[in-house]
Amino acid sequence: MIAAALVLLSAFTAGCGRAGGTDGSAFAPAEDRRLVIYTSHKQEVYEPLIREFEQRSGIWVELETGGTTELLKRIAQGDTDCDLMLGGGADSLSAYAGCFSPYYSVHNGDILPEYRSADGSYSPFSALPVVLIYNTKLVRMNPPEGWASLLDGSWRGKIAFADPAVSGSSYTGLCTLLQALPGDREENLKKFAANLDGRQLSSSGEVVGAVAEGSCYIGVTLEETALKAIAEGLDIAMIYPEEGTSALADGAAVVAGCAHEENARSFIDFMLSPQVQQMLEEDFSRRGVCGAGEGTEGLRLIDYDIQWASGRQQSLLALWEEQFEGAEE
Amino acid sequence: MISWIKSSFRNRIFVTVLLVTLLPMLLCDVFVMQIAISGSENMLRQQATEELGRLEEKLKGMLEQADEVTEELAESTVVRSALRRGGSDSRLLYQFLYQKSSQMRDYAVAEIYDGEGRRLYSSESSPGELKLPTGWGALRSAGETQGLSMQADSGSGLSMSRAVRSYDGGILGYILVRVSETGFDSLLGDSFSSADDVFLLDGTWRQIYSSDSIHTRERVEELREALLSGRELGDGYYSVYLSSLGESGFTLALRQPRIYTPAVMTSVYYACLMMGLLCLVLSLVCAWMISRYLSKPVKELDEAMGRVEKGDYEVELISDRSDEMGRLSSSFNRMTREYRQNLERSVQHERELNETELSMLQAQLNPHFLYNTLDSMKWLGVTNHVPQVAAMATGLAALLRAGISGDKLIPLEQELELLEKYLDIQSVRFEDRFTWETDIDESFQHCLVPKLILQPLVENAIIHGVANMDDGYIKLSASAQEDTLILAVEDNGQGIAPEILEKLKNPEREMPAGHLGLKNVDRIVRLYYGREYGISARSEPGRGSRVELRLPMSGEEKKDA
Repeated sequence: MIAAALVLLSAFTAGCGRAGGTDGSAFAPAEDRRLVIYTSHKQEVYEPLIREFEQRSGIWVELETGGTTELLKRIAQGDTDCDLMLGGGADSLSAYAGCFSPYYSVHNGDILPEYRSADGSYSPFSALPVVLIYNTKLVRMNPPEGWASLLDGSWRGKIAFADPAVSGSSYTGLCTLLQALPGDREENLKKFAANLDGRQLSSSGEVVGAVAEGSCYIGVTLEETALKAIAEGLDIAMIYPEEGTSALADGAAVVAGCAHEENARSFIDFMLSPQVQQMLEEDFSRRGVCGAGEGTEGLRLIDYDIQWASGRQQSLLALWEEQFEGAEE
Repeated sequence: MISWIKSSFRNRIFVTVLLVTLLPMLLCDVFVMQIAISGSENMLRQQATEELGRLEEKLKGMLEQADEVTEELAESTVVRSALRRGGSDSRLLYQFLYQKSSQMRDYAVAEIYDGEGRRLYSSESSPGELKLPTGWGALRSAGETQGLSMQADSGSGLSMSRAVRSYDGGILGYILVRVSETGFDSLLGDSFSSADDVFLLDGTWRQIYSSDSIHTRERVEELREALLSGRELGDGYYSVYLSSLGESGFTLALRQPRIYTPAVMTSVYYACLMMGLLCLVLSLVCAWMISRYLSKPVKELDEAMGRVEKGDYEVELISDRSDEMGRLSSSFNRMTREYRQNLERSVQHERELNETELSMLQAQLNPHFLYNTLDSMKWLGVTNHVPQVAAMATGLAALLRAGISGDKLIPLEQELELLEKYLDIQSVRFEDRFTWETDIDESFQHCLVPKLILQPLVENAIIHGVANMDDGYIKLSASAQEDTLILAVEDNGQGIAPEILEKLKNPEREMPAGHLGLKNVDRIVRLYYGREYGISARSEPGRGSRVELRLPMSGEEKKDA
């Protein structure tokens, strides 16, 4: 019994004699040089941005990625160390305005009025207009001109459109269509749904592919996605609907009561700086929200009613679903 | 446990031997393992420190070189005038560029950009068109600082840039020295062991260079995450060594695989445990054997002593050992033997004394003298008309004669006649306060019985039974059970006390004085005829007793008795 205890003891002490891991605390940054960012952006967007921010400011950014809704819910629960929420549409961020501390950036004056946040709870970052695309090989004559084309029977069954119940941008597209076109909105919704001929894509990412490979002739997507596809050399052309379109902004917001509020604010200043806003258009195929860049130049915007879109979301989607149930029967 | 150890000499030896064999071995085990592990870890640490030193030196050299080269280029009139003029076809500038960057060309590319960020000249062969943003990255930071600015490239690699300024301070262009991943490979490759990984990190621990070509990004991200969350950088499988690269703010990290990984440690522990168990088993066996070898004779001696104390002097220890234990055993044997002999001698002595005394007594009271005296007493009784005295003397003489006559066995008939004489004498003594009766079948009259064997039974019935009564009654009867003759003496006296009965049943027990008669009869019968014969008694206090004597019917004497 004693011997067994000794054997165990020997193994134990032998284990204790080992050098532990390296303590890097001397290299770790002080608290005032840290910033925790939650982002729902893609890596290709956030990485250059954060690297440049780090190099300019010397602030160490800790990053957590995830879906907009998921991250916002976590922030709302309040058990995160998040300082800054980067990404998410203006509508989503305003829905969680209570979690954020208001901040008006030093560049606030440069922000185009249509994107500016009224209460300062978030700061817009980039604008994402909804556009139409078509396959340049399949559509040589009479390309689509605007939202009305989507109700045109000649495109019946040839439209790439993601299920708005799944894709947020697709829902924005649907609402833009309804708000841009004259007439009864529910009637228009039914007409559009009928024109899809029972076919809708399961995610917004598939729209470009469906048009590029020719299974659909035209599609509804975001400008950023379309421009990237064109830059990749796909046979796609992009048009801005003649009736006008919506350009919802995504943004960033400082979490109320966070540990590194100063750094979070300086990130927002950086994000809205002319250099970054310019980079958005040059490298990221996005539109800046400041007048300094391209802004909404060459873009006809409708007065998109966010309240209506979010207020009617459930009933619209239910109506939408009805159309497809009918189509399947 | 402790009381178990203390309880026996053997247990003490056992535990001592166990500890003495096991402890040093286990301590050795632990220390050797410790020394081996810390030795190898020290060696690895030293190796890592050396490697870090070499790497640091190379990187510092590189930075110094870049500083010098970019400064010379930025300050040179050739570059300034070429940039002012525009175009990318200055042969003189190319010559100058090659000359200045010759020392670095193995690992770095030197390039000259104009104020707009367009690449004009490059030491790289066949450079394509390139325009870098001046408001972003390397060119921006060069424009904002006076000296050399260094930046990690977005993928990996390092850009060191310096602005070329005109004399009035305006930016004419930029000098850029780029070190790519492969550039670092060729610069640092021979300075560290191929098993290790080297990471060059910028001020916020973003990767500039990683020698791990498979997990290019993950390793650095793991390190950064660990640093920011305050965890230890190394783990069971790798040690991480850090070194800070002076003014640049860069950090050099060396990731070295450990020899004693958890898997190795597990097998080492396992081996240790197995060895420990083996040792334990061996020690147990050894301790058990040694303790038994040492303690066995002591235990035997202890037991033998115990027996001697109880009076058994026949004990003898058997030992073939020639050591102290063997000598002790033979001394013990000698001691008990001598004691036994002494005892025998003293018993012999006593017996001789007794015999002498007896023969002297016999000589003094010889039977003829007694007969003649009794005969004289009889005639005196007759002549003086005291017939009781004459009868008593006659009876006593008959008993005496029978007692010393040669025959040991006599017919029952004769025994009863002698008994009658005895009872006559006793009834005189007890003034006829008891009566007796014989109820013996004719067929038993010729059975042979030991001479005067019934007398002690009857005496017992009188003295311990009817002596204090006025109407005592004694009955003699005989019966047969197969080949056994049963002679019974019954009385109506006060009975035999239960403790006496108990002692009578157990032949080994000593009888109190006064009851020796029964016991002696029992012993004589048993000696003569065997254990199945002898005396048995039944009695109820106050209601008399019945004592039975069992004898073989034929009266044949046992040959071996």
